[in-house]
Amino acid sequence: MGILKMEGVSKSFDGNQVLKNVDFFVETGEIHALLGENGAGKSTLLNILAGVLQPDAGSITFAGKSYHNPSIKQMERAGLAFVHQELNVVNDLSVAENIFFNRELTYPLGLLRKKEMLQLTGELFATLGVEMDPAQKVAELKTSQKQLLEICRALHTDAKLMILDEPTTALGNDEVEHLFSILRKLKADGKSFIFVSHKMPEVFQLADRYTVLRNGEKISTGRVADATPLTITTDMVGEKYAAKDVYLPRVFGEPVLELEGFSGQGFRDVNLIIRKGEVVALTGLAGSGASELMQTMFGALPSSGGSIRVSGEEVRGGIGKFMRRQVGMLPTNRKENSVIPDQSVLENEYLAEHNLSKAKLFINRGWETNRYQALKELLGIKAQNPGDAVTSLSGGNQQKVFFARWLNTDVDILLLDNPTQGVDVGAKEEIYGLILALAGQGKTIIINTLEIPEIKKVSDRCVVLYAGDVVAAFDHDDINERDVMLYSTNAVNAEKGK
Amino acid sequence: MGKKSNPLTLLASLWRDHSYIFVFIVILIVYAITIQVNGNSFGGGHVSSILSSQNTVIVGTMAIGMALVIITGQIDLSIGSSLVLCTGVTIIAFNVTNNIFITIGAALLCGLLLGAVNGVLAAYAKIPPFIVTLGTMLIYRSLALWGVRAVDPEISGSSSSQFAMSSDNSMYDLMRMQFGTNSLKLAGFSIPFVTILFLVCLVLFVVIARNTKYGKAVYAVGSNARAAHLSGVGVQWIQCSVFMVTGLLVGVASVIQACKVGNITPASSGRAYEMYAIAAVVLGGIAMSGGRGNMLGVLFGALSYAAIDFIIVSIPALSADIQDTFQGLVLILVILVQTAGPAIKEKFVGRRRQAAT
Repeated sequence: MGILKMEGVSKSFDGNQVLKNVDFFVETGEIHALLGENGAGKSTLLNILAGVLQPDAGSITFAGKSYHNPSIKQMERAGLAFVHQELNVVNDLSVAENIFFNRELTYPLGLLRKKEMLQLTGELFATLGVEMDPAQKVAELKTSQKQLLEICRALHTDAKLMILDEPTTALGNDEVEHLFSILRKLKADGKSFIFVSHKMPEVFQLADRYTVLRNGEKISTGRVADATPLTITTDMVGEKYAAKDVYLPRVFGEPVLELEGFSGQGFRDVNLIIRKGEVVALTGLAGSGASELMQTMFGALPSSGGSIRVSGEEVRGGIGKFMRRQVGMLPTNRKENSVIPDQSVLENEYLAEHNLSKAKLFINRGWETNRYQALKELLGIKAQNPGDAVTSLSGGNQQKVFFARWLNTDVDILLLDNPTQGVDVGAKEEIYGLILALAGQGKTIIINTLEIPEIKKVSDRCVVLYAGDVVAAFDHDDINERDVMLYSTNAVNAEKGK
Repeated sequence: MGKKSNPLTLLASLWRDHSYIFVFIVILIVYAITIQVNGNSFGGGHVSSILSSQNTVIVGTMAIGMALVIITGQIDLSIGSSLVLCTGVTIIAFNVTNNIFITIGAALLCGLLLGAVNGVLAAYAKIPPFIVTLGTMLIYRSLALWGVRAVDPEISGSSSSQFAMSSDNSMYDLMRMQFGTNSLKLAGFSIPFVTILFLVCLVLFVVIARNTKYGKAVYAVGSNARAAHLSGVGVQWIQCSVFMVTGLLVGVASVIQACKVGNITPASSGRAYEMYAIAAVVLGGIAMSGGRGNMLGVLFGALSYAAIDFIIVSIPALSADIQDTFQGLVLILVILVQTAGPAIKEKFVGRRRQAAT
């Protein structure tokens, strides 16, 4: 009898079906890998299980009881623990205080039984083989220890089934090994795990069974021992038809961006030469360093070695230096990094340009409005008038405004960090068309994205990073989802090791 | 959405974007009623006294800077103390040189310096502005207190722990009598010169906030500093510069204080002015969270605050001790209407919408 049985689960957001009749079973005492590309429906499925989202249809049977629209509290009490990717520990408290957080042992009047909690934490660690001082401040712990702490906290609640959402992203190799040995021990004690990871070698090291989701559907499930990294990757990617292809080969100009031994936070020793008019995709899963590389190429993060030359001249320093060399960056996470929520569409659009034309103190509103109209036409921004609040626009239209923010500065090199995040399908296609049109005009574009179909659509070249290193580069004709996925999950090495 | 604009919707949008004007009108009406109840008739004289009160011209001038600081999401608690120290320096400069330009120059330079200290510590050393300016609030006032005793009475202009403009100087008459306490008579309505100076500063900063790239950057930093940074805005410089601008305006306010009042007492003058300035900014509809607000609001905010003061003083039943209680209550009430008003409206509209479906 399995610990978890989810049957026929479906879920739609705004008419967009993200889960279609999905079955998902977890046996007692197994580690079950849940796999799929970004947007395949993994998070939605797990959030339904945890009681965060309510399914449109389907049933959940957990630990012998069936639930209909359970609440988060109900599932927790039934023995489900969700260890999120981002750590949820309280840095200012001790290890033991974190273990007992919100479940503190108290005397009457609410005074804490500190000694007892320290002792119990010590005992818990001893049985798990975790070496950590219960009295230590959490702020002093390494990231891997915090990760362990969070798992210990889940175990302390007597969880029967634990969801581990990419638990190894922040860990080094030894730490991963340690974590895995603890998980195996717990498994032997009858605990069950759902393991979400993008790293294929880990799946083969740790998991007993797997389930692959693609586009909201269950594609395959089975024993890991019966599968290979190749079959699983193929299941994840599928035979995706490329929608109408707008890509055309172009002739490139002189090298405009040259990286030599370029290193920084999360990536090292990158050598790359990009020519005028080229569209280059950087790709890699979370923790690969692709986004950090891009931010460092714009001066938003400090570089720690090597050099970057823009149009033949070495650039050192911050964002301003790069902007004066006509480099622009559309950052990832629009809401946090791009939107000025209290300003209008026009003000948002001119934010970057104003910094380059500071010498002219006053704003020429007529000139700005004229340029706005021209860019609005070019980009197809759907806004009533330039004075409207930027927050009144849809995600895709906001993103176009931020494209305009950089086109206004006459950029030659445009860095796009995950530009289609939170943008609907129609606007995505428009953005692809725009990227190719700009490249046709001689702009050089570098795009960081996890979506491989997107890469195939727009880029002349695709550079794959894994754990901070460039591991592969493909020319346009050689880009295919399976190979890119093989390199970005490091399944290549897992395959070799097999 | 295709609603025609009629007077009502125009009024509604005016209320939404410029509620501080209505606030001021309501307060002015209340003031008029209290005057009438007291058996006097409300007239131009009363309006004129609001326009020339300390709370309008001195606090108002400094509140312009405070507004910029608050728009960037910071706060300046030191302006009352800065005013005292800066006015001390201004009066000394006048007493020693008897030169108008050197006096004004000293005021502006001193203000700029005091503001720059705040700005550098808050923006570049990244100490929370609340703490920085709490510290300098103590430092600046104590320097003024120490200075007034340390300086020769010949130079400070007074022997009673005060800085006072020396009436022996030949420029005294021009600064104090012609400018500081005199008014421009226009069509039967008189506007004090110091009020005109305040209004000039205000118009200048309304233009800066609306029509310059610097002004837009100030709002952008307060609204989303990270996005501003990634668009190339020098966030730290903007954060520092608003303190320096505030310092300059404290310098202007010091000139007004010196010319209008003629003296300053470090032990008691300018106490809680930072709080009055914050009140004026908030009454002017500028969001404490930063990024939002109209500089024009500072004018109406300062006028509203001055009027509230007059209302309370004009009610004989209120003793001086209890006046601050009423000032506090009125302030909270006004802000409550501004912030809770839309939320309550939203609730009702939402409920109606729900009922409709």
